[in-house]
Amino acid sequence: MNLRNKRLNDDLFYKIREDVLTHWSTGKDVDLKEAMDYMSKVPDEKNFSVQLKKAKDSGITLVQPRAGVALVDEHIELLNYLQDEGGADLLPSTIDSYTRQNRYNECQTGIDESIKENRSLLNGFPVVNHGVYNCRKVLENVKRPVQARHGTPDARLLTEIIHAGGWTSNEGGGISYNIPYAKSVSLEKTLYDWQYCDRLAGIYEENGIKINREPFGPLTGTLVPPSISNAVAIIEGLLAAEQGVKNLTLGYGQCGSLLQDIAAIKALTNQAEEYFEKYDYDVELTTVFHQWMGGFPEDESKAFSVISWGSVAASFAGATKVIVKTPHEALGIPTKEANVQGIKATKQIINLTKYQSIPLFSELDQEIEMIKRETKCIIDKVFEVGMGDLAQGVVKAFEMGILDIPFAPSKFNHGKILPARDNYGAVRYLDFGNIPADKEVKDYHKKLLEERGVFEKRDVSFDMVIDDIFAVSKGILIGRPE
Amino acid sequence: MNNTIVLGVIGADCHAVGNKILDHAFSKAGFNVVNIGVLSSQEEFIDAAVETDAKAILVSSLYGHGEIDCKGLKDKCIEAGLENVILYAGGNLVVGKQDFEKVEKRFKDMGFDRVYAPGTSPAESISDLKDDLNFNIGTMAV
Repeated sequence: MNLRNKRLNDDLFYKIREDVLTHWSTGKDVDLKEAMDYMSKVPDEKNFSVQLKKAKDSGITLVQPRAGVALVDEHIELLNYLQDEGGADLLPSTIDSYTRQNRYNECQTGIDESIKENRSLLNGFPVVNHGVYNCRKVLENVKRPVQARHGTPDARLLTEIIHAGGWTSNEGGGISYNIPYAKSVSLEKTLYDWQYCDRLAGIYEENGIKINREPFGPLTGTLVPPSISNAVAIIEGLLAAEQGVKNLTLGYGQCGSLLQDIAAIKALTNQAEEYFEKYDYDVELTTVFHQWMGGFPEDESKAFSVISWGSVAASFAGATKVIVKTPHEALGIPTKEANVQGIKATKQIINLTKYQSIPLFSELDQEIEMIKRETKCIIDKVFEVGMGDLAQGVVKAFEMGILDIPFAPSKFNHGKILPARDNYGAVRYLDFGNIPADKEVKDYHKKLLEERGVFEKRDVSFDMVIDDIFAVSKGILIGRPE
Repeated sequence: MNNTIVLGVIGADCHAVGNKILDHAFSKAGFNVVNIGVLSSQEEFIDAAVETDAKAILVSSLYGHGEIDCKGLKDKCIEAGLENVILYAGGNLVVGKQDFEKVEKRFKDMGFDRVYAPGTSPAESISDLKDDLNFNIGTMAV
């Protein structure tokens, strides 16, 4: 493996592909030529890229839930319920955790037990075990586009199967589906494996078939400062574009401060466009806003408030789509009824705010500029340590802590950065670790946290971080001392 | 006094945040925490407990597969000579919103000594573990 940010050539791609398709028996049903043919007949209303472009052009925020169960017919029933009863604009297929770790034998156990007990014992749809024809069965029995949402470090076979199965969007990336989702998989391996997934999307594009790709924006979903997630999103976008991806949705997870959340999405859109232009990539860019990814209140009324607050931020930020949480979030995987409640609450806010906007005022503008400045500082350094090669740069940057994701499980993550909220609820850097920033930026974060310390009559410390992690589930945003 | 405990997230689960907080809280309460982290197999829990002569194994699961992942753990503990090691499980242990009493019974039948519902504060399991291990609170660092 010679990792470079260069388009995989055909010889190499098809050589890897021969092996990938043997990883599970369903790989043999993937025939690229036949798949292109099938894909070319998928109607526009079931194509992700087409629907996102339409929403972007008309300034609408689309609503998408997360959902997946072990068995095909039950999964179809679930998606139809979310579509018909909830009014979901875009459909997911959340993939179970065994598939994400390529443990297809354990998936089979989960499928068998689910049949025996007549309830889903898997936390998602085991798409590799079900294979191409069952993906098509899912698509043919719904009215909206279907996307795979997962967390799979090696998603090559999964990607082959879902696209051959008519699903026109795939979530993930070599950083965002490794560092938050794995313990000991190297970045060289996941960046390389995701180049394959991106290249496959590129090959479909070159054959006139539109495929949407979505790097996973929220990362660990726990107090991630916007400049970290924006830097990773833009880097994964650039890596995907190099492989021929044409339709990209970059993501961001709600922090909870309305001002910061609007600023983050605006900074992301603006800065990503700048980088795509700089490196001469022709990309149709859209954005996704994830409602609160941290711990939720158990009380369902309180949970609806968190859901609605995220919907407000998504709408005013002008995100192309919003990913919805449910009132069952604190307890795990929701019933289909709870899932629909989350969609309905979200749609209500989206409809109420549809023709409203917040004009650019100086504090918002300052927040946007600050996020962009921090993000640029990180990305520039990644290019620098990679000696101009972005893929090499990512590997080195994680080794050195230039890229560092808070609370991530991977041993290849530095784990020195600490975030905490300022006195107004925005997420700031309590400790930058080795994340590069100029002195003025560092002083700015320090001053804001000290202001909170004075207000709370305590030192700025790790206790604030822990209090902030639990705050939303306890019904507040800033973890004030009790 | 040996107050070593093994902490980890079982199965194909990569939820890391709660694991880091439990590590922090149990360490602060005076336990010697051997944290094997996320994505840990039953064998890894047992190996860590054998190697460190641990008094308790604390299994977390946040993603719903806990039921499948924890099956047989107690038997493997007994086989490894760990029949007296205290076994706790906690988190979002099953798929969907289910009656916790039923979930608790299912896990106790599997051989777990205590089972914790989602949202339990670390203070509660710390206090239980001190009781179960007959630790005099006075002898523990706070």
